[in-house]
Amino acid sequence: MTASLELAERALAAVRAGDGAQATVVGERSLMLRFARSQPTQATAVDDTSVEISVLRDGHVAGASTNGGTGDELAACAREAERAAEAAARHGEPGAYPGFPEPAGSRAHAGHDPETALLDPAAGGAALRQVFDAAASRGVDGHGIWTAGEVTTAIASTAGMLAIDRVTDAGLRVTCVAPGGRSGHAASTATATGAIDAAAVAARAASRASVRGEPKRLGSGDYAVVLECYAVAELLEQLGRLALNGLAYAEDRSAVSGRLGTQVAAPSVNLADSPRYARSLPRAFDAEGVPKRPMPLIQDGVAHAVVHDTRSGALAGVRSTGHALEPAGAPYGPRPTNMVLAAGGAADEAELCRPIERGVYVTRLWYTNPVRPKETLITGVTRDGTLLIEDGEVVAPLEDLRFTDTVLGVLERTQALTAQPTLVGDHGFYGRRFATGVVCPGLRASSMHFTGAVP
Amino acid sequence: MRDLLQDLMDGAASHADYADARFVDSIAERIATRNGRVEEVARSRSAGVGVRVRLGGAWGFAATRDGDRRSVERALDRALELARAQPAAPDARLVPEPPARGSFESPTGIDPFAVPVADKLDVLAAADDAMRGDPRLKVTSAHFLAFRDERLFASTEGALCEQRTSQCGGGIVAVASDDLESQIRSYPASFRGDVAQSGYEHFAGLDLAGNAPRVAEEAVRLLDAPSCPAERTTLILDGEQLALQLHESVGHAVELDRVLGSETSYAGGSFLSPADLDSLRYGSPLMNVTADATLDGGLGTFAWDDEGVPGRCVPIVREGMLRGFLSSRESAGTIGLDRSHGCMRADGFARQPLVRMTNVNLEPGDAGSLDELIAATERGVYMETNRSWSIDSRRLHFQFATELAYEIVDGRRGRLLKNPTYAGVTPRFWASLDAVCSAGEWRLWPILNCGKGEPGQTARVSHGTAPARFRDVQVGIA
Repeated sequence: MTASLELAERALAAVRAGDGAQATVVGERSLMLRFARSQPTQATAVDDTSVEISVLRDGHVAGASTNGGTGDELAACAREAERAAEAAARHGEPGAYPGFPEPAGSRAHAGHDPETALLDPAAGGAALRQVFDAAASRGVDGHGIWTAGEVTTAIASTAGMLAIDRVTDAGLRVTCVAPGGRSGHAASTATATGAIDAAAVAARAASRASVRGEPKRLGSGDYAVVLECYAVAELLEQLGRLALNGLAYAEDRSAVSGRLGTQVAAPSVNLADSPRYARSLPRAFDAEGVPKRPMPLIQDGVAHAVVHDTRSGALAGVRSTGHALEPAGAPYGPRPTNMVLAAGGAADEAELCRPIERGVYVTRLWYTNPVRPKETLITGVTRDGTLLIEDGEVVAPLEDLRFTDTVLGVLERTQALTAQPTLVGDHGFYGRRFATGVVCPGLRASSMHFTGAVP
Repeated sequence: MRDLLQDLMDGAASHADYADARFVDSIAERIATRNGRVEEVARSRSAGVGVRVRLGGAWGFAATRDGDRRSVERALDRALELARAQPAAPDARLVPEPPARGSFESPTGIDPFAVPVADKLDVLAAADDAMRGDPRLKVTSAHFLAFRDERLFASTEGALCEQRTSQCGGGIVAVASDDLESQIRSYPASFRGDVAQSGYEHFAGLDLAGNAPRVAEEAVRLLDAPSCPAERTTLILDGEQLALQLHESVGHAVELDRVLGSETSYAGGSFLSPADLDSLRYGSPLMNVTADATLDGGLGTFAWDDEGVPGRCVPIVREGMLRGFLSSRESAGTIGLDRSHGCMRADGFARQPLVRMTNVNLEPGDAGSLDELIAATERGVYMETNRSWSIDSRRLHFQFATELAYEIVDGRRGRLLKNPTYAGVTPRFWASLDAVCSAGEWRLWPILNCGKGEPGQTARVSHGTAPARFRDVQVGIA
């Protein structure tokens, strides 16, 4: 653990010029086992550490990174960052970056599991066998991933920051496919591999894929919906990127620009960024070393706050809230990474269905993308468990549907939520592993706008 | 490193049915201005070795940043450990391939990494300044990108080849906003601009500053433009949007790993099956699609893929009929092909290769120029520059939005329209293709953010297209 801090300090010491500097070390050790048709397909082990040096000059921050750790490699990286910062400073007016944050003392968390950090491939192999057995017992095939990882982040800066955080995460995602092509999905994410019940996850996915009957087709229109946690998490992730992003807010591109303090969702909607919530993937600080703290975003349906890094905060005239995704802030701005949507009172999704005369049960949303970002208007399709609700019960499978609706509109039309929130993890892991997740319950909305059936 | 990888593969041959190793050294540079200020100046370098083994039908892959003998041998051991830990899998055959030998370097006029940052900032600042002025413009941005990859590949079958490719480009963006909405315009392409396998000369030739006033003016005009009406009508797509249409509804659909179900849980499957080869009508007789890894300037151009298979030019669709898939040695063997189409590519050293697109192109037609195509269209909508995309997991039902549209009335561009969208179903949409512009309008367009695989991999690919016309398309969805 101290090796990462020492590396960060060595990298910082390599910087000779500028008005300040930050060195960020991120080490990843991870395993990812993929499977399809109830057979293993790929298995990837990664062991890599990157060093990013950010140099401040006249309000401009420039950076360079390397995954080499020798003295020569760190020196070369530092020279690159210095040259880049100097070039930026000589170009036009001073930059707006106010300086690297001072240390503020982050709190310890329980987001590291030593057993998970062992990265035992046998544990993954055993999970795959459980999935294949559960799928076979229902006559379906299993597709998905099992993954575990440990990420160590160390930051040293000329502002006095010297911080280290070590987290683990584990996940199993299963899509079962029946011989006729029906599919079902379930997943589990946690800080520890021991918390993943592979057989239970696979059984849930298999049961969804085994729903009997020929899929019915619904025409375009507005339908009452019950959204499982996976679908809710997808909507909230988009809300975080589009509307709760402090840079979009400061640049008047957010749906809540000028609307903080106003009603934007149903009174039952309470959304916070809660990095210490028991079922979340905790993190001690952001990419600038600013400590993570609980932060209400929507309270009783009223837009309360957006998240900031130092750069967006400077534009908006406020301090960073600890949501930087890159040192000195990502070009696309900050976003909440530990969102928790408060649970409601419904026992389960079946109870959510009861008041619905005719509607759609959605397990999961796929390929969502913004159509008109400032309105939070997005489109996407349902996937892996789209079902028809009639007279309060799920009665038949449906062909998947395309929806085109605003996220805030769905939250405005939210009527009820389940009592049990679930951590829905994002296991995409493009670039360096950065495990995040949304903790949310299922919800019922009085309507959602569907723009066509997917044949 | 050559000797090290060769030695590693000599040792691996007694432990694995097959193994390969790649040393990859990747450098990237990103420079951007935003609202007249320098926003980003960043250079990243990542180097290491990835070792892939096949044992009893299971793959194992391990990556290490350390290039010393002990570390790469440990990576080989770890890859073998992973392969052994998994449940048994059928031992599908890899189609034979002569061992790749040699070296390749993509043509690069001016090394983009040797040009001073200050010179690049001069170009970007001039373009950014030329967009600013109207108070409704909330964001103006100009950006530069450059990538260089050096790859050394060795296998237990005796392959040993190395290649070096450079890519460079950039673009500009203007975002206008009022109380209700925001509108965006980009040039030459959305989502980070136009990048080609080229040197700095490609970026220098984009004339960002010359196009900046038009881009800014169009973003502002869109705020007050009428919305694209909802109707079924004739649709003309510009080459840039058509490139993404081709990417999403053809390129991904013909990836053989998706067709065989290997990507079902994440990227998804395909509406195609192996039995559709040579029998499925994909589109109209005007539809001719080729996957060409040998094209000058393409982001999907290489001498060998990451299995050591030479870059090839293969037909995918001919006169509307499905004639080929994008394949690997394993997937080609699974459906009985005698050779891989050479489409295995990996994002850096720490990812194992996947079936990826090369340069998947719609061949030009004979409809003349874009202006001539519009003149030959009585009524419809012309859409330009992608803004948003979504397609279902089998690559059938899609919905796209573009940055702007013009109505077409009596063969002429009419009103500017905002918020244009269109939707369709892949084979029906391509069946409605009734005109493709001629070779003079054909060019490569980049896709810089193609995501696939777990852990996630981002690929950069190019698609050659010319503007084309489709009949009876649903537009104005939302």
